[in-house]
Amino acid sequence: MTSQFSHLHVASAYSGHYGVTRPELLAEAAKAMGFEHLAITDRDGLYGAVKHIGACLQLGLKPIVGVDLEVTDEQFAPRGRAVVLAHGRNQGLGWATLCKLVTMAHSGMSAAGDRRTRKSGLKSCPSLTLVQLAETLNASPHCTVLVGADSDFARAAEAGNKNLASSLLGQWVSSLALPGIFGVEIVNHLTEPGKRGSTTLASRLVQLADSVGAATVITNAVRYLTPDDAITADVLDSARFLEPLGAFEPQPNAQAWLKPTDLMAELAIEITGDSSRARALLQTTRKLADVCTLDPPSDCGWGRPKTPEKSALGIEGNPFELLSQKMQDGLEWRYGDANAKRQLEAKHRASKELITIGELGFSTYFLTVADVAQMIRDMKVRSQARGSGAGSLINYLLGISSVDPIENDLLFERFLSTERSTLPDIDIDVESARRHEIYRAIFKRYGSNRVTLLSMQSTYRGRGAVRDSGMALGFEEEQIDDIAKNVWRFSARSFRSALGAKPELAKIAEAIEQDRRMNLLVDITERLDRLPRYISMHPCGVILGDANLLNLTPTEPSGMGLAMSQFDKDDMDPMGFLKLDVLGVRMQSTMAYAVREIERIHNKKLDLEAIDLADAETFKAINTTNTLGIFQIESPGQRELTGKHQPTKFNDLTIQISLFRPGPMKGNMIAPYLDGRHGFAKAKYLHPDLEPILRETFGVVIFHEHVLRIFNKMTGCTLARADEMRRSLENPRLKPQIEEFFRTASLARGYSTTVVEAVWATIESFSSFGFCKAHGAAFAMPTYQSAWLKTHYPTEFMAGIFTHDPGMYPRRLLLAEARRLGVKILPLDVNRSTHEFVVEKIERVTTLPDETNIGVRMAFDQFYGMSEAEVKRIVKQQPFSDLLDFYERARPSRRSFELLAEVGALDSLAVGNVHTRGDIVARVKQINAAKKRATDTDLQNMLDFAMLDQLPVGNPEPTQAEKVQAELRTLKMDVTAHQMEQYREMLDDLGVVNASDLVGLRSKSSVLVAGVRVATQTPPMRSGKRVVFVTLDDGTGCSDSTFFDEAQSRCSHILFNTRLLVIAGKTRRTGVNGVSLMAENAWDVRELYASWVQARKNAPVEKLNQMTASPSPSMQPEFSAF
Amino acid sequence: MRRIDESISVLVNQNTEPIGFSWRGQSYVVRQRPTRWFARKEWWVESARVQRGIGAGSLEVEMWRVLAMPVSALDIASSEDSNLQTLTQFQLIHSNDNHTWRLERIFD
Repeated sequence: MTSQFSHLHVASAYSGHYGVTRPELLAEAAKAMGFEHLAITDRDGLYGAVKHIGACLQLGLKPIVGVDLEVTDEQFAPRGRAVVLAHGRNQGLGWATLCKLVTMAHSGMSAAGDRRTRKSGLKSCPSLTLVQLAETLNASPHCTVLVGADSDFARAAEAGNKNLASSLLGQWVSSLALPGIFGVEIVNHLTEPGKRGSTTLASRLVQLADSVGAATVITNAVRYLTPDDAITADVLDSARFLEPLGAFEPQPNAQAWLKPTDLMAELAIEITGDSSRARALLQTTRKLADVCTLDPPSDCGWGRPKTPEKSALGIEGNPFELLSQKMQDGLEWRYGDANAKRQLEAKHRASKELITIGELGFSTYFLTVADVAQMIRDMKVRSQARGSGAGSLINYLLGISSVDPIENDLLFERFLSTERSTLPDIDIDVESARRHEIYRAIFKRYGSNRVTLLSMQSTYRGRGAVRDSGMALGFEEEQIDDIAKNVWRFSARSFRSALGAKPELAKIAEAIEQDRRMNLLVDITERLDRLPRYISMHPCGVILGDANLLNLTPTEPSGMGLAMSQFDKDDMDPMGFLKLDVLGVRMQSTMAYAVREIERIHNKKLDLEAIDLADAETFKAINTTNTLGIFQIESPGQRELTGKHQPTKFNDLTIQISLFRPGPMKGNMIAPYLDGRHGFAKAKYLHPDLEPILRETFGVVIFHEHVLRIFNKMTGCTLARADEMRRSLENPRLKPQIEEFFRTASLARGYSTTVVEAVWATIESFSSFGFCKAHGAAFAMPTYQSAWLKTHYPTEFMAGIFTHDPGMYPRRLLLAEARRLGVKILPLDVNRSTHEFVVEKIERVTTLPDETNIGVRMAFDQFYGMSEAEVKRIVKQQPFSDLLDFYERARPSRRSFELLAEVGALDSLAVGNVHTRGDIVARVKQINAAKKRATDTDLQNMLDFAMLDQLPVGNPEPTQAEKVQAELRTLKMDVTAHQMEQYREMLDDLGVVNASDLVGLRSKSSVLVAGVRVATQTPPMRSGKRVVFVTLDDGTGCSDSTFFDEAQSRCSHILFNTRLLVIAGKTRRTGVNGVSLMAENAWDVRELYASWVQARKNAPVEKLNQMTASPSPSMQPEFSAF
Repeated sequence: MRRIDESISVLVNQNTEPIGFSWRGQSYVVRQRPTRWFARKEWWVESARVQRGIGAGSLEVEMWRVLAMPVSALDIASSEDSNLQTLTQFQLIHSNDNHTWRLERIFD
């Protein structure tokens, strides 16, 4: 029995737009074929390496890792693609050399995905020069380079130029002369005799190698698992070349698959024509495989957590002792003023956590995260720990988190326990606008040898798969657009079955019957689904390691220039890397902006972390349900829930945020909780022992922490063990064991069968629904803080909202909200506006109290049609004395100049009260009409302008409606007045009710509401029927209407697309401050207005009657009801 | 070189290598170990479906290069020292789908 073949050249799907098969699948297949080794050699990087090693370890395969790289001469002309394999079992020397070569190949490149590479002398793809390769390997001969089929000497051999081939190969051999670092790769893809990849050429290369004494190794240059996958490879080639199939030379056949040992042996014999030479070829290959077999723990630091060295953290001594010291300081800081009982409780808990951290050896990890958190605070950037990390008291004491876990009843075990040994995730939310600044500071603080950004692989999903498939098949752009539009609702993998099931795809289904190409499109789209597509910077991940980090991960430049690891988040645990999620959150920027404005305007310090968490005014404001702009609770659904729930303390916000999640909603947890809270039903506890645990939620199991405590109470297991069991509940294989344990243990502790059954049923149904309370509490903090700011400093807060745009709503709705709050809106003004929405003190014209003397100045941000450069010029050149001065110094484009005039931004340049905005617009048009801009050197022109420098008079001031129209066009905001105002007379005439007055009406009142559509939602319903929720804003607040089937069909034509609506319906009370409308019909305001104007013209006195008789047929019956 | 592209019947050995064929009424015998290789097809032009699992048949086609001579000429050339000059190179296409053979071209 001959030994098994070893594949040393295998591209996985992580070879972007080249490889077809995921590393895990390749490893499984290799195992099934009886292989002993398997290599992964992705193109240009180690993108799939960690997944490959993980799969090999799991299956008992010997892992080998390499890279497939372009090698060039000194002028960057290609010399060939080389496979570089790391030698193993040398304490990481081979792995480090490989990482170094890959990183080197990417340096001098622009960022991944950046196509603007040709200019500025950057390499267009990752590559090494032969000199770089040789210098590195001569200094550190711990990798083997294989070059063959795709090389300069092979091309010469193919052309029949034996001498040239020999001399080119000679250069490789002499450059890589140390023993064991170079070999000729022999590939036989059974292509046309004489061509690249053919048997004949392979034999020629063997002879050539033998003649210069170079080692030979046989591979199959694998890029897919089975021959069938070759079709997918064709499509990936098309995506890589950005050309349709047929426009480039495709792969020669389908032979580059993971062939079994017998076929590889046959190929060796076919090539050499000599069984002993064939045997030697296979033996060399196998020997190399042995040399390259990695021992992941000693070679790659596999599974061993790594943190910055003490010196990098600026600490001395034992980290555990230091952590202990910091904990003591933290206790004093956080609980110094607390009562003795709380102090004792905190001390006890902190010690317990500290012991766990010590046992796991994570002291340095916590010190590192605390150091980063401190650095962020020192930079005066707002931050907030998110996720289960908020459950740790130590995190609170170290200032990593700002939520008190004792006060909020959060559990450390949900975050960290001795049952798990992977580094826990601590996520920190920061101001989005300053996120990159923080990344740079982290690089600077710990050194660029210890820090890299995290990468992520984007994969093909519906639309992308359709696009690239369509491009491969040569479809027209519009045709692809048309199809791609419809495929976002399902996975591309099930394209064909979706065609039969989804009515909106009927057109495509029909087209397929008539069009062969459409059929192919469906097939190859399904093939592309989920394949990695390109690498990019992870939105928030930073890897922090020790000085050895860059020996363990290769890096490449990210979009923002900082080095980015080629590993993704799933690779972090196996590699033992500390990953910190520093996520940009716009609300944090918003609040930071508001705080800065408060300090600037009022000249007083404000510490948001120190505000009273039980401020009655704040809760009162929340309970009006006017929550627009507040973090997490501004959506229509959350507003409705707020109306029903009426939170009165911080913990209520935690509960509300946690309840409004798909899980709890699907698990029907909201209604029983609300019933309990409002006393409609008595809270039911399955056993008195559960009452203390579930009292806060009236018997409803909502939080992971609840489940942990129930397990702990009823079975007597530790909380740490309880969390392991909670995690296992989601695994169908492990669940029966948990169930068995729960039953046995709780029965043994004396709980009755009935109780045990009932509790288990609850836990079982909960497993997929619950939410981590620490996470909810961490979210509740910015929720409360933003609500507090909105309540006490509405002007400054809304200025922050406008500037950082944190929420789900368009800015114009938030402007309406600001107006509703009484915030003064100051119009755009070229002499005062900047790129931010600045709070301004208004000169006192009345004797109003101080706080009403401020307003928000509209900004140039998102001024439609004006470039950033123009805005910069305006801000830089401020102030301006008159129109001509502005025109000459700010140099706006003609179009911007006119737009600025139309929205009133130039009003302040017209002196006195004589001139109207109409005059200004006329003057701007005059100036624009002059052919050339005046310059200092162009005297004649200057004179012409000067002569014209007179504002015309007598042009009418635009009406309010006209002004609002201009503002909406240019600023997407109605600054002067709410856009419904122009219909005010009609709305009053119709008796339309203000949104703010709905709450005072009794249930089932028939009403009309009107407004601008701000949200439309069609959530999935249990019944399967579609329900449409429409939210309108009328300037006094938001109204929410629900359309069921009948109402939907009555106004289907305007239900989704019309912006300004009048809706008729019946009020439905949902809670103390909750009212929604059961819609009966809806109309387009503009259509209605046209008929109303018409009707009024015809018979002013009987306008309403006229209207009900004349509008379009669809609205007639309902209209007469009012 | 001539393009032929005609259906032929082929005799194969145990390893499914062609050892003889008949074309236009004439029988040929293969006189050297034939060379197998794989060419490709433009499935995007020719195929109706390429769903996952369809196999490489829509992409790849098996080709054989054989050195053969007419059976009628066998008497003249002995098997041992058959002069390569008297042999002609043929290229055959073997369709794996239905096991049919075509004579694709003659290199003469």
